[in-house]
Amino acid sequence: MDTKKSKGHLGLLLGVLFVISACSAQSPSTAPSSAPSAAPSTEASASASTAAESAAPTALAADPAEAVIKDIEPGASISVWTFWLSPTFDKWIGDTISRFKETYPGVEVKWEDHQATFQDDLKNAFAAGNAPDVINLSVGEGWVSDYATRNLLLPLDSVSQDVKSSYFEGLWKSQNVAGKNYQFPFYQGVSVELINKRFFEAAGLDPAAFPKSVEELPALCKTLKEKASVVCDLRLTVNDLLAQMVYEGNVKVLSDDGTAFTFDSPEGVAWLQMYADMVKDGTVDNTALTTKDDRTGLLIFSAGQAPFYQTGPNLIREVKANNAQLYGDLAVVPAPVGKSGVIGKGLMGMSVNAKTKYPNASMALAQFFTNARTLTELSKQSAVYPSSAKAFDDPYFSSTSPLIEDSARGSAEAAISKYADIVPTIPNKGDVNAVVLSAVEKALFGNVPVQQALTDAVTEANKLLD
Amino acid sequence: MTLRRRLTPYAFLAPALILLGVFVFYPIAAVIYYSLTDYDIVTPPVFIGLANFARLLDDDVLRLALLHSFVYLLVTPILIALSIALAIVVNRKLRGIHVYRALYFVPAVSGSIAIGLTWRWLFDRSGFINSVLVSWGVIHEPIQWLATPSLVLPLAMMLTIWAGIGYYSVIFLAGLQNVPEELYDAARIDGCNDLQKHWYVSIPALRPQIVFVGVISSLAALKVFDEIYVLTGRTGGILNSGVTMVFYLWQQAFERSNAGYASAIAIVLLLVTLGFSIVNVRLLERGESTAR
Repeated sequence: MDTKKSKGHLGLLLGVLFVISACSAQSPSTAPSSAPSAAPSTEASASASTAAESAAPTALAADPAEAVIKDIEPGASISVWTFWLSPTFDKWIGDTISRFKETYPGVEVKWEDHQATFQDDLKNAFAAGNAPDVINLSVGEGWVSDYATRNLLLPLDSVSQDVKSSYFEGLWKSQNVAGKNYQFPFYQGVSVELINKRFFEAAGLDPAAFPKSVEELPALCKTLKEKASVVCDLRLTVNDLLAQMVYEGNVKVLSDDGTAFTFDSPEGVAWLQMYADMVKDGTVDNTALTTKDDRTGLLIFSAGQAPFYQTGPNLIREVKANNAQLYGDLAVVPAPVGKSGVIGKGLMGMSVNAKTKYPNASMALAQFFTNARTLTELSKQSAVYPSSAKAFDDPYFSSTSPLIEDSARGSAEAAISKYADIVPTIPNKGDVNAVVLSAVEKALFGNVPVQQALTDAVTEANKLLD
Repeated sequence: MTLRRRLTPYAFLAPALILLGVFVFYPIAAVIYYSLTDYDIVTPPVFIGLANFARLLDDDVLRLALLHSFVYLLVTPILIALSIALAIVVNRKLRGIHVYRALYFVPAVSGSIAIGLTWRWLFDRSGFINSVLVSWGVIHEPIQWLATPSLVLPLAMMLTIWAGIGYYSVIFLAGLQNVPEELYDAARIDGCNDLQKHWYVSIPALRPQIVFVGVISSLAALKVFDEIYVLTGRTGGILNSGVTMVFYLWQQAFERSNAGYASAIAIVLLLVTLGFSIVNVRLLERGESTAR
């Protein structure tokens, strides 16, 4: 009898465990996300709502004019890694590779998509000596310069001037190291502010009057807290704080000769003081402010708990999927600009492994993925945009759409053409960033005066330049 | 003895030795080597001698991580006390007691990441804990639990305790069921109340289990990682408030690509853990000889 009871209880326990396992498996995507923190999120997945555009687009026919790289190695067999594009864009990638093979006959291509573990996988591949020939790297997060400074990427300046000039100049010069370029500009994003109109209405604010500059945000957050009892969902780019200082605060972070850091200037102090005041006033969510995972803020916003969130319009579909009611209350306005006046820098690039056996074939594939024709097709499937002026001649970009996801389409070219990478290459960037992060946290949460925190950080960071 | 008979035992030992060699001894040797190099994983290591160890001496974050790891050891006595209490409670012949025993064991078989995520949601600014406290009027504004440096480590320790109680209580339950009932009868006859009965009979009888649980839970506390990783969202907490030795090692190796320096930290962790294990084993031996 006891044995039967024990078996019954064991069965009950197993049932409970299955339920818990199922619940755990369905937990939201808070698994560590490598998705870069640049305001336009990098997960360029198709918007389910743009049904017309994404309805099984037919593959483009090969065009010999796309064969712009010469002297392709005969019998080349190359591999390419993309970052978080599968499964949504499997067809687009497959069609692109097929068209590439028709354009450059005799080249074999093997494609892999890597996601949350992309950086770990890539580092392990480099260590093992089997890194892919062509690599989709984040420009926004500084991955290109990280690998270029370690001589792992091939400089691309040997391509023809026609190829170089086919891209927006600011994008071609993004993440240059010692004056050399290491990436073909891939798809781009446009920063927008998603606004939850309910909070703005409660606070008596007009979404159309959203601040045009970053320095106006503290006042807005104060009003929202006082009148709508909600805190702002702002985020520090904790993986690249110096870049955020440069764009938002117009801070000169490194001396011209590269021998000393200079981010403890009045501009640097003013930038950090802005955030310190918001933390002191309790007008920001401290967890969202310091998170490494750029999805944290999106999840908070999608749950209807934040008044606004800066991202790319391609992620509006995530808001719709998680909270259809909020989707109906959304407004979209351009993101505020920092004191630098520069809207942003490039989002994604395609780079070539320095040790590839087939440099010309690899450059051809990287360039092919980023040319006007290829990226225009991608734009028709998701709210991301091409890197070249010629692409925007397509009537698609001047057409209007009633969908809020497509609200940035008409202004995308103007925004992207002005993108520029104005951040100097930082030696020992990871360690320097850790020093800056420590200083920022001390100033925000540790009651250390901002000037002192930054000056101490400069002293410590300068040791890393030796 | 023929050669074959002499070699036969080694042949039986060989598979285990090979596995140990590949997955234990070789990695230890590799870590010792890498600790003497500047190694970022993607490019070949460059020998730099003891520079990484010299750097350890000046590293404030490492000192903080060591401190946090030792503070984390406080979970051990708390776990032991609560697990014994739970084992005593469920060591009864009550209807449905098996269900309770099974339910208390559920955290032990749930994934640490799932548990960590659940706690993170509970203590989120808009999470369940704040909702309840605000609705009861205990607080007027939500507390940013995981963004408050002084709360991160205590919350992680609470999570470890909550997740471990069921597992360790099973060990104590097994011990309690071996205690002769006559001892409790004798205690009752001598006038002991329930509390005294357990203090003078159960706990001394559980000494071997207490020492065992003390050793394994303290070693686990020194090596804590999952709780910090999930609760702090891979950051280690504001102002490194939750950074422990293993977390800092991971951070250096995989976030900052300082695998050489991380290897030096691993050597320190190895020595600390080894020292701790030796102390625990000595205590165990002393306890056994006292019992004899």
